[in-house]
Amino acid sequence: MRNNKGQQEMVGFVLIVVLVVVGLMVFLVISLRDGPDESDSLETSHILSALMKYTTDCAIVYEPDYDAVEDLFKSCYEGDRCSNLGVSACDYLNESLSDILGDLMESEASVNAYQLDFFVKEDDGTQGLLRIDEGNCTGNVLASQRSIVSGSDSLVIRMKVCKVF
Amino acid sequence: MKIMQMAFMIVAVMFFFVLVGLFFLGIWVGDIQGGAASLQRDKAISSLRVIADMPELNYDSSESMTLDEDKLRIMTGDFSAAYEVFWPVASVKVYLVYPAFDEVKKCPGFNCNYYEIYDSGQSNVKEYSSYVSICKNMKELGGEPRCEIGKLVVGVKIHEEQ
Repeated sequence: MRNNKGQQEMVGFVLIVVLVVVGLMVFLVISLRDGPDESDSLETSHILSALMKYTTDCAIVYEPDYDAVEDLFKSCYEGDRCSNLGVSACDYLNESLSDILGDLMESEASVNAYQLDFFVKEDDGTQGLLRIDEGNCTGNVLASQRSIVSGSDSLVIRMKVCKVF
Repeated sequence: MKIMQMAFMIVAVMFFFVLVGLFFLGIWVGDIQGGAASLQRDKAISSLRVIADMPELNYDSSESMTLDEDKLRIMTGDFSAAYEVFWPVASVKVYLVYPAFDEVKKCPGFNCNYYEIYDSGQSNVKEYSSYVSICKNMKELGGEPRCEIGKLVVGVKIHEEQ
């Protein structure tokens, strides 16, 4: 009888421990999943705004009607070509973005990695069109995104920057 | 004996819960500190927006964080002396970041890339910066405005404890 009661206490204690451990695991999974990703940042938003307004050397129709990066995203999606340079808008966009982002991030000592995604939102999800990334991400992840409309389609440009403070 | 066992059990359970509580508290405090630092940074960057959106520098009132290159050139010239009491900060500088350059050339001047709009000459100044667009009106040439990427750097005086 005495042994039986001791066993009951042991089982009760183990149950409490198991319950707390399960709660802890759930909390850990949630905090890790929502953790460093996608913290919307004003800093990244300003980088993305300045990037979108930058005037490129690509003129789709005539010179000097040059596309800003934002227009170039649309031109790329619509399959246009830079008439003055003789290259496709997508090739020029890819080259320009790598160049611009490389130079911008070089001037930021605290940035160790960046990633820019260009994708189109569809009814059944998203379709990636372009990705530019560099570096290994450590520290805080700051993110921002812009949506632009091309015809009836919604294009999204998302930028993530990994920064060590 | 039985009371001792029970007391030991209660102490063990309490100790366990205290450990768990400390673990959660550690995570919570870490989040608060990170959040506070992030808010402070965002606040500093928001105040940069106030400077960038002033009509003295802004390219188009409908677009935030966009500076007018012509206005920057004027403000870096002799005209800037008239504005010395105007700026609510210790310094206002703008660098051209892209297209990239090899050496810093102060404006006004040919192919310049650095605009020193105001510098009070104060020491103990903390600088905050943010990316901006530097746009130039090209309408007389039949084109859209041409924008480059720059960095607005604003210095804020740090008050020392007496």
